[in-house]
Order: sequence, then structure tokens, then C-alpha cells
Amino acid sequence: MNRNFILVYILLLAAQMLLSDFVRVSPYVTLSILPVMVLCIPLRNSPVTAMLIAFATGLAVDFFSDGVLGLNALALVPVAALRNPVIRLVAGNEIIEKKDNLSVPKIGLAKFSTAILMVQAVFLAIYILADGAGTRSLAFNGIRFSISWIAGYLLSLLVVGFLAPDDR
Amino acid sequence: MPKERKIIPAVFTLAVFIILEIASLRMVSSNGSLQRIWLARQAHFFQAKVWGGAQSVLQYFSLGKQNKALAEENHKLLLALGEKGAAKRDARADSLAGMLVRSDDFRYIPATIVKLSRNRQHNYLIIDKGSEDGVHLQDGIVTPSGIVGIVDAVEKHYSYAISFMNPEISISARLGTEGAVGPLSWDGKSRRGAVLKEIPLQFKFQPGDTVFTSGYSAIFPPDIPLGTTGEARIVNGATNEISVNLFQDFSTLKYAVVVENIGREEITSLEITAYGEEKQ
Repeated sequence: MNRNFILVYILLLAAQMLLSDFVRVSPYVTLSILPVMVLCIPLRNSPVTAMLIAFATGLAVDFFSDGVLGLNALALVPVAALRNPVIRLVAGNEIIEKKDNLSVPKIGLAKFSTAILMVQAVFLAIYILADGAGTRSLAFNGIRFSISWIAGYLLSLLVVGFLAPDDR
Repeated sequence: MPKERKIIPAVFTLAVFIILEIASLRMVSSNGSLQRIWLARQAHFFQAKVWGGAQSVLQYFSLGKQNKALAEENHKLLLALGEKGAAKRDARADSLAGMLVRSDDFRYIPATIVKLSRNRQHNYLIIDKGSEDGVHLQDGIVTPSGIVGIVDAVEKHYSYAISFMNPEISISARLGTEGAVGPLSWDGKSRRGAVLKEIPLQFKFQPGDTVFTSGYSAIFPPDIPLGTTGEARIVNGATNEISVNLFQDFSTLKYAVVVENIGREEITSLEITAYGEEKQ
């Protein structure tokens, strides 16, 4: 991982902590850029490393915000585990074999958006389910998931330029 | 990359994933009360599913043992049922013996017919009483409805008898209680048909009159009702041959009574002695 990425990653992590603590739009909205952060971890890192980073990231957010400790880590580790299959599915095997960095110019906005939406879906599904702990109705969870999914996607598009710059 | 070299990293990745998820779940469980209850409920549900599945598998593999136990139980039940059935059969055979007109000169042994042929020209039957029960050769087999046969072979527990539905058997029968006596034998055609022969022409009778055992033979006791008279025809201008409709229905025969003439040996030896003296 180059220093720029680590710096950007830590800054975005801090931004996510602030987002979790201070930006509460509605109980139906969970704003998170964590999935896209994990998605953009350089591909030369193994899935195990990506999972460990995701776990640490999730714990950091949980620890510094007032959520349930372990909730973000619980939802983010599967994102890291599924990162390579998602990229393989969306952008093909070549980028993984070359261990290139993921960026919009390399795979195109549509494919990148698809990847973001997929990892956001995985993250939100686990997060909302565990956060509700069986006390929320399916309708509530469904609405929360839909709104958060779109909001998270839009927010991710804003930060993806910092995480995955065009290094051609 | 060789297959083994792909599998090991995949297993390692999976193991790390599971460890991290379990760690996350434990943290969630210990920090959120709602999550703790929810996770406990899910864990119980999962345990129940796994336990139920394991039980099903164990039950499947213990089916052989259960089958054996069931077979043994089944065998015991069949034995118990058999004992009850035997007791019931004995009771029914006993009640049949009680329905007979008793004679002090005869001994009565209730029996169950275990085999009976009806569709041959020479029919036979086997009863569940043998020499150990006191059955002897030439004992009669009767029911309150008539004659069934004569014992022809005896084993310890079973006896073989020639059925009345057999041309070899001819018994002494009487028209009414005090009428003429003649030999009665199966007509060889129907299950309830017999022919009473050698009835002198001077003896008058009406169709429907009852035919009884005469008591002249040493095998059967007297006055057992056998059937009713039907049509008659004159034979050789000297005797009547009367068709008899038997009371005994051989199709429904199940229980019978063995009758043994207590004085038969004495009668027989007397006959032999008298016959010998006559010859001299």
C-alpha cells in the first residue's frame, strides 16, 4: 500500500466516524463509505489482509462512535471476503491477476458503480439485520436498506476519486 | 497452480473469515442487549436444527436395532395372541361338545379342524388332537349338526380322518327316532347331499323327516341329527333309496368333537369271539 492510499484511507475513516456521530438524517438512513473503502484496498493485498484491515476499520468506527461495538466489523469483514469475487464478476479476472489498483478510468464508471452497489448491499444487509436485532419489521428494514443503499452509493462516488485515483 | 496450493490459502482465508466474524459477533453480543437476545435466539434455533438433524441421522443408523426390537416384540405379541386364540378355540370346541346329546358310553374330546379338503372325491381332514389327547383310531368326529368323519391315523398332537364326504365311509342311520335303519353315505356330488339306502318299502316316511345316527355302530353315539329326507326311489323293487339333505355344512366347518366309544374294544372282541365260534 502506498503512503497516499494509507493517508487517504485514514482521513476517510475519520470522516466516517464524524459521519456516524454527527450526521443523523433519519433512522431510515445509514450513511457509510466503509464498503467502498474496503473495495478500493489495493489488490496486491491478499484477501486475508483485506479482511484484517476491514475488521480493524470497522472496530475503529464502532469504538469512536456510539454504535454497538463490533457491528461495523461484523458487516465489513464479509465485504472484504467478497471483494475479489465481486471485482472478478464485474471487471474480469485480469485486473486481479495483474494486481492492479482499482479505478474508475480502468474499469469504467458503470462497472465501478456495480461493484460499489454490490458491496454496499452486502454491508447494509448485515448491518441493518444485526442493528435491528429482530425488533424491526421487514418493511422498515427494507426501506432503510433501499434509502441507505442509494445514499451510500452516491456518497461512495464522491470519495472514490480520492481512494482510487487514475494511476495510469 | 497445483490444486493443493490453491486449497490451502482458500482454507486459511475461510478460517480467518470465520474467526473475525465470530470475534465481531461476540463483541456485538456483549455490547448490545438487543443483539445479545437476538443472537441467543438465533443460536438456539441453529442448535435445534443441528440437534434435530443429528438426531435424525442417529435414528436412521439405529433403525436396524429398532427393527430387531420390533421384530422381537412382534414375535412376543404373536405368541400371546396365539395363546389367546388357542384358549378361545378350545372354549368354542368345548361349547360345541356341550351342545351334543351326551351318551355315557362315549368320551368326548373337543377339537379344532386344522385342515379340511372339500373338493376331492376322497376328502379328508386333520384335527389338532392326537394320541396324547386321547384320540384313537376309528374314533368318530361329529358336530351337533352331524357326522364329520372317522379317525384313520393318529400322531401325538394331530389326527388324520376320512371325511364323511368320501365314498369309503358309510354310517348307520335311522329314519326318525324309531324308524328303519340303513347305511348312509355321501352322494359324491354336493357338499350337503347324502343317500340313505336299504330302507324296506314297508316303512313309510315323509319328505323332510329327520335322519339320526342309529347307534348301531361302535363309532358314533345314537340320535345325532344328520339331515332331512328328500326324494326317494325304489331299488330292485325291494328297498327305498332316499336322498338326504345334510344339516352339516362342510364349507363352514371349523370345530368338531371326537367321540370315542368306551366299550368299543369289548364290543369288538365280543364280535370276534362270536364270529369265531359261529365259524366253528
